[in-house]
Amino acid sequence: MNARPESWEFLSRNDRATPERKPMSQKQTTLRAVTEAFADVLGPEEAERCVHLALKNSASPTEIIQSLRDGVEVVGQKYHAQEYFLSELIMAGLMCEQAVAILRPALASSSTSMVGRVVIGTVRGDIHDIGKKLVSTMLMSAGFDMVDIGVDVGPDEFVEAARKHSPMILAMSCLLTNAMDEMSLVSKTLEKAGLRTSLKVLVGGRPINENFAKEIGADGYGADAVEAVKSAKSLLS
Amino acid sequence: MNMRDRVLTTLDHQEPDAVPVTECAIDPPHLEALTGLKLTGETSIQTPVSANRKDEMAAIEITYQCYKRLGFELIPCELSAPDDWDAVKNPDGTITDEWGRILRYTPVTRTWSPFRSMLHTPEDLERFPLPDPEASGRLFGIEQMKKLAKDDFALAVFVRDPFAHVWEMCTPDNFVRWLYQNPNLVRKTIETLADFNVTIMKRLREIQVDLVISGGDYSEKNGPMVSPRFFREVIFPNLERQVEETHRLGVKFIKHSDGNLNPLLPDLAEIVDGLHSLDPTADMDIGGIKARYGARLVLMGNVAVDNLCRGTPDDVIEETKDCLRRAAPGGGYILTSSNSWFADAKLENCLAMVEAARKYGKYPIQLT
Repeated sequence: MNARPESWEFLSRNDRATPERKPMSQKQTTLRAVTEAFADVLGPEEAERCVHLALKNSASPTEIIQSLRDGVEVVGQKYHAQEYFLSELIMAGLMCEQAVAILRPALASSSTSMVGRVVIGTVRGDIHDIGKKLVSTMLMSAGFDMVDIGVDVGPDEFVEAARKHSPMILAMSCLLTNAMDEMSLVSKTLEKAGLRTSLKVLVGGRPINENFAKEIGADGYGADAVEAVKSAKSLLS
Repeated sequence: MNMRDRVLTTLDHQEPDAVPVTECAIDPPHLEALTGLKLTGETSIQTPVSANRKDEMAAIEITYQCYKRLGFELIPCELSAPDDWDAVKNPDGTITDEWGRILRYTPVTRTWSPFRSMLHTPEDLERFPLPDPEASGRLFGIEQMKKLAKDDFALAVFVRDPFAHVWEMCTPDNFVRWLYQNPNLVRKTIETLADFNVTIMKRLREIQVDLVISGGDYSEKNGPMVSPRFFREVIFPNLERQVEETHRLGVKFIKHSDGNLNPLLPDLAEIVDGLHSLDPTADMDIGGIKARYGARLVLMGNVAVDNLCRGTPDDVIEETKDCLRRAAPGGGYILTSSNSWFADAKLENCLAMVEAARKYGKYPIQLT
């Protein structure tokens, strides 16, 4: 695989020792390259190159998505270990977008099933996008079908999106303390609309903790984008 | 000891008669509630949104009256927009500031906050005419606040950190994307914005200020936003240039940042004179930092804003006592919240913080 480009020199390096490998088929080699491109956060161009190469070597979209997930999981682990930082999480997200854009037509025509649909938004009174977007791309890379309804989203808009998209999970994010009460309001509005039992509610963001999540009756909580993925998976298990 | 002397003694790492108390910003609803005055214009705590001097004077007056009423010894003030500037008003109700950031109005806080950018490509950034630090009127607000504060209060000038500024100007996605595609462009822009601040610091010789605080975050909850290596190779050399110029004024330099700064603390302790915010929800332990870096760094913090918003006055009093107990002995400590008084912070909690600070913050600190 290609070395990390020089232009990436300021970001964290991933100097892993290369394990001894068994002989692999060309397809397996290209799938491993996908995983490593993501684990080493080599950028959207490298993601695009590796995905095209894997397709050319007869890898299925499902296999490529699985390889991509394996790489993103490494990124999440390294982020928690402070070997990677927010910039690497953002870049991994951009790489996922690039890969999924290439694979979308093939995925649509294949029998690949997504883990589940998630409607996600930042609650009313808060226009912060980055945390929500990171969670969205991490969930997408984990196989969730994401519907991002943006920032400053009111309770009625969440309900409307839940009716329209029938998600298994409705995820809410906020950065401002003053937006926390909105999460409770959304939860109550979902209940009034009779939708609360048909979906799980996942919350997260800077001021949110597990106690608050319990307090407002949310089903799950993620301290950050990586934890949000774990929480979402456990909600559907 | 007057209020300014209390701050100056603190900045010199000595114990004054009492711990100074302040806030780096107070949202408009609280300013109005505490003074009975009305803000006439539009504001943002991150950037000038108007060069209407009448409105700006009203904002300066209400801020001064509020800080005076609260007995806050240190008053913050900001750079102004140039005399002939006006925000670009966009058809969708947003506005664009001098730095190409698109701001949206938040009714709860009654302030404008950046949420997008007009810069979409590296070429946009390269071509963007960066604001002129020498522009006429740039120091208007600082001059006016100094006239009000005289030498009774200490005056802190806020500048924007070049890294945080470029991060916001580009948006985080594009910052990271362009760092990958064109790292020299990102580096050059950070250098240019550091030059802007250095020029501002030179101009501050015209006005006697007591402190420079650099706003803008380096970290989020988990850790630094970019690798420590990028900090060491690009951000910190530019930070050092600003600190050196500030020191030429005989003034100290405090870095504000939310989030978990722990991996950067050894470097920061060698560069800046102090830190503000020290977010306790992001693993910033004010007692531990005092023990390790208290001889070098002035600490400003860190009553949790979440407690001000959602706790009780008793919770806030206990937390304030805890901050005083752990950070005040020996001096070099200014009590503030872990960010600012947000619009939805309960006023009774904010006032409980101040009352507890006054009650328990007299030197020598008696809390055990």
